[in-house]
Amino acid sequence: MTTTAVALRATRRSRSLRSVTVTAALAAAAFALFVFTMMAGSMRLTAGEVIGSVLYLRDDPSVDFVVRGLRLPTAATACAVGLALGASGTIFQQLLRNPLASPDFVGITWGASLAAVTGIVVLQVGGLAVSGLALGGALLAAILMYLLAWRDGVSGYRFILIGIGVAVFFEGLIGYMLTRAHLFEARQAMHWMTGSVGQANGDELRLLVLALIVLLPLAMLLQRQLRALELGDDAARALGTRTEASRAALLAVAVTLVALAVAAAGPIVFVALVAGPIANRLLGPAGGGIPAAALAGAVLMLTADLVAVHLMPTPLPTGVVTGAVGAPYLLWLLATTNRQGAGG
Amino acid sequence: MTRLRAEGLTLGYDDRPIVRDLDVSVLDGKVTAIVGANACGKSTLLRGLARLLAPRAGTVLLDGKSVSDLSTLDVAKVLGLLPQSPVAPDGITVADLVSRGRYPHQGWFRRWTESDHDAVARALEATGTADLMDRPLRQLSGGQRQRVWVAMALAQDTDLLLLDEPTTFLDIAHQVDLLRLLRKLNADAGKTIVVVLHDLNLACRFCDHIIAMADGAIVAEGPPTEVVTATLVEKVFGLTCVVVPDPVAGTPMVVPAED
Repeated sequence: MTTTAVALRATRRSRSLRSVTVTAALAAAAFALFVFTMMAGSMRLTAGEVIGSVLYLRDDPSVDFVVRGLRLPTAATACAVGLALGASGTIFQQLLRNPLASPDFVGITWGASLAAVTGIVVLQVGGLAVSGLALGGALLAAILMYLLAWRDGVSGYRFILIGIGVAVFFEGLIGYMLTRAHLFEARQAMHWMTGSVGQANGDELRLLVLALIVLLPLAMLLQRQLRALELGDDAARALGTRTEASRAALLAVAVTLVALAVAAAGPIVFVALVAGPIANRLLGPAGGGIPAAALAGAVLMLTADLVAVHLMPTPLPTGVVTGAVGAPYLLWLLATTNRQGAGG
Repeated sequence: MTRLRAEGLTLGYDDRPIVRDLDVSVLDGKVTAIVGANACGKSTLLRGLARLLAPRAGTVLLDGKSVSDLSTLDVAKVLGLLPQSPVAPDGITVADLVSRGRYPHQGWFRRWTESDHDAVARALEATGTADLMDRPLRQLSGGQRQRVWVAMALAQDTDLLLLDEPTTFLDIAHQVDLLRLLRKLNADAGKTIVVVLHDLNLACRFCDHIIAMADGAIVAEGPPTEVVTATLVEKVFGLTCVVVPDPVAGTPMVVPAED
């Protein structure tokens, strides 16, 4: 065996060790936060009580009421929405080869929001109907983006600029929908628009969890294609990737995840944008691991929810906290991508 | 014997045919250069041969079978291509990038084996980039970066290797360096190489066979000494010139005539 082969093995081994360690650490952090969220509140509980109640290991009606009835749905929503946004965000960023290309910046989130708000305000529906509408809206936005920006291949900022245009257009329509609404529905829609994990109902959450169980493993299988697509369409095709089919499959996964997350918790901003870069910072350059990004998203969401509900003088919607953390990151990203020449 | 050839090949983008009804055979075990003026269709032909562009008419045949009937993964095990402007993910290291060349040899569940390791190590060594393994691509010079891309295509471990203008952004020393590398790959590993080149003198010096194109058609084809004449250069590039023997290798050298 040559020295190169030996060195290569060492490099590869340390990379995969790092990847396993990082993913496991993120999973542990997400789990700890998940349990901790259910411990905190006006009725303080121990980790044992929480876990015992969630797993039906003990029977204590008052604890069960607080944990299973009140806190578990919120914590589970935060976790599931975070996983979905993190995975979806990193897939978009890698497919479009741009750190700014998260679903909230290319209009997908807003397409889902417009459809959901229309459902709440005009059709006065809830639950799975909102999920369905959000999915339809997200797909419509994705198709619109594809037609406007993608036909001749992705070119850096063009896609982002068109995405911002599409997002603003949808937001305008959302504003119009709100002016047409009655006061009660308008308030409800406004609250939904800020993004909050406290509002999900059981059906939306169950659908999201089901989607995660199916789509996250699928996304991990498609990671190989994604790594080839990252090198540009010509290189990917030369390597034997069926570029159109792979990209369509990856987009479908990412769009479905973000749409169902939006349906469950409203348009939570910035989580999809920052989860992938945080995971990459931990994994090492061009890591791109989808599981790590998904877990980073869950950690972010759970933290944001903890801060929003417990550290603020009055409980805030989760979206306010993610926005406050995400906005400075976005500014930093805008300021530095051009210097590196990586933005387009 | 020729493993890769095209019959009646017409290629184009949108409604514009760029290459029209073209027959071409790639000589096995040789280094072939495709030359011609800008926009003559040389890169289009290469992309067509590498099935990156679906033919409007005609077929590309690999080992006697139409490429469009073969699975793209099977083609990728025999035929590699380095595109004109591949994209490197931000911050990617040399080892990571070269490893991605193993894509066609892996499967949905079969990810990384000893033979993958060996192929990547061989590719790094053959291109002299083994020392750069852990460096981010971004930090390398243009010449080193191009060698790394060649290494990625090599890791694919194909008998045929197509390169689309690999010397375009390199200075003269690095151009020569890269072409020497291609010659070495041809000599050591017996690879069949097709390369689109801008510089006719370098093509004559380093390639066994020249395909000269103008307006989407082949104007002349053959060994440099037989093909490259003042008349051909006039016809292909519209340049009046004198062709003299290269003082080192004796291959044709194009010297522009006086105004």
